Amino acid sequence: MVNLSELENDALVEIFNIGVGHAAAAMSEIVNEEVTMSVPSITFLNRADAAALLGSKRDGDRICGVSQHYDGAFATEAILMFPEDKSLEIVRLMVGDSVPLQELTEMEQEAMSEIGNIILNSCVGTLANLFDSELHGSLPVYHVGTSTEILAVFGDQGDDVVLMLHIDFVLAKHQIHGYVAFVLDLSALHDLKEQVNRYLAKVFGTA
Amino acid sequence: MPDTLQRLTLLESIIGAVNLGAIVLDENRSIVLWNRWLERHSGWKADTVLGRDFFEVFPELQHKRIESAITQALRDNFQSLLSQSLHKSPFPLYPQAAATSDGRERMQQAVAVTPISLPGAPRHCLIQITDVTVAVGREKLLREQTMVLRSQTFSDGLTGVANRRHFDVAIDKEMRRAKRSGSPLSLLMIDIDHFKDYNDQYGHQQGDTCLKQVASALATMLNRSGDVLARYGGEEFAAILPDTEPGKALMLAEAIRKGVRALAIENGHEDGAARHITVSIGVATQSGAAPLDIDQLIGAADRALYQAKDGGRNRVASTAPATPPA
Repeated sequence: MVNLSELENDALVEIFNIGVGHAAAAMSEIVNEEVTMSVPSITFLNRADAAALLGSKRDGDRICGVSQHYDGAFATEAILMFPEDKSLEIVRLMVGDSVPLQELTEMEQEAMSEIGNIILNSCVGTLANLFDSELHGSLPVYHVGTSTEILAVFGDQGDDVVLMLHIDFVLAKHQIHGYVAFVLDLSALHDLKEQVNRYLAKVFGTA
Repeated sequence: MPDTLQRLTLLESIIGAVNLGAIVLDENRSIVLWNRWLERHSGWKADTVLGRDFFEVFPELQHKRIESAITQALRDNFQSLLSQSLHKSPFPLYPQAAATSDGRERMQQAVAVTPISLPGAPRHCLIQITDVTVAVGREKLLREQTMVLRSQTFSDGLTGVANRRHFDVAIDKEMRRAKRSGSPLSLLMIDIDHFKDYNDQYGHQQGDTCLKQVASALATMLNRSGDVLARYGGEEFAAILPDTEPGKALMLAEAIRKGVRALAIENGHEDGAARHITVSIGVATQSGAAPLDIDQLIGAADRALYQAKDGGRNRVASTAPATPPA
């Protein structure tokens, strides 16, 4: 569906790893404890496959998502997603609360939104910096629902592509896997590929 | 242009009237707007902060998340959110503005940092501060009530020790742990002797007081971390003793028997002499050498308790082939 050369793929993985590295440093500063994050791989999927990947554990499992809209050099809806129980774990590790309730409270949802805000801005910020371009970012919005429901919030054009980042998040010996999805329409995908190539040309000094 | 002037006045009045804090920084991070809400909650008038560097006014916020949020707004055109849960009260703002801020609790704050694009001028950024003190208080209350509710579900209303439900959960957990680690697990069944006589003679209220006294004495003696003392039924208590060999369990049981007798609670007379509240205790142990399931362990402790009762009460009996207490 999307043909990225190995070089383009590696460049994106590297850029996103720089991005989540910044995010991890920001989060370490907040909690005064080491937080590490990495992006082991990225995948391009269509929307249905992306939803299936996120909901693969059990049908109907709830996912927590934090989304932000970006536009400028390319337009995308970026969504950080964790299974609901994992987002409870992350927030409680970050906030250090002792009485866990069944769902995230209003204040915990806001903390989750901030975590998403930090990660998404770092990823997109690194991308924009290296591409020498500018994007405008919105405030984070918190969602909870099945993966299909969450992805459906962002319109439903059949030809949308989802760039999926696998994220490993480690805090206080807990390792938590999550995803960042960038929903791109075909023109945004085209813009992104062009930016990657321009960046590679600059790095290698060739066109 | 009177129209423009009027709109400007209108906007200024609105910014002055809104129920949140608004700070605007220019591209050099100098404060160019400080609304009335901030004056009210900080005690600082706008003319004392306008034109000053933001981090000169708030030196303690330097290198904190708000600094990167400001940088991201001014440089990258990104918006940031600083949640109350992760930052509590970054700004020295108070629910009621006053001359002094000593010893008062800061307002709980949620902060949003937003870039502001201006035609023909470098980008500015807006810092919005919302008072979430009420919501934070509400959640604190919710957590406290959850704690109370949770402890009520698992404790005995009269004596305050664990209830039967807690016992069932705890024995299951400890049994699995003991089997995994191959460590011994002992169980004491403790029954108050002649408690029916006590109730008949002194009444149920006095009976309740006696139960409370005994329970509290038992709890004091079973104070190793991991020990669970539960009210098993009427005047019967059970103690789960993880990592405890049969010999050690018998010693503990014997100490408990003596301790209850030492409370010297009178329970009528027998053969002309004052009789006191005593307990009979049955001891059983499951170990790698003698594995038992939960029902077998409880059954063994129960049988030992009957032996102690049959043997004349105020004594300890064990079904385990262990050395008797010295």
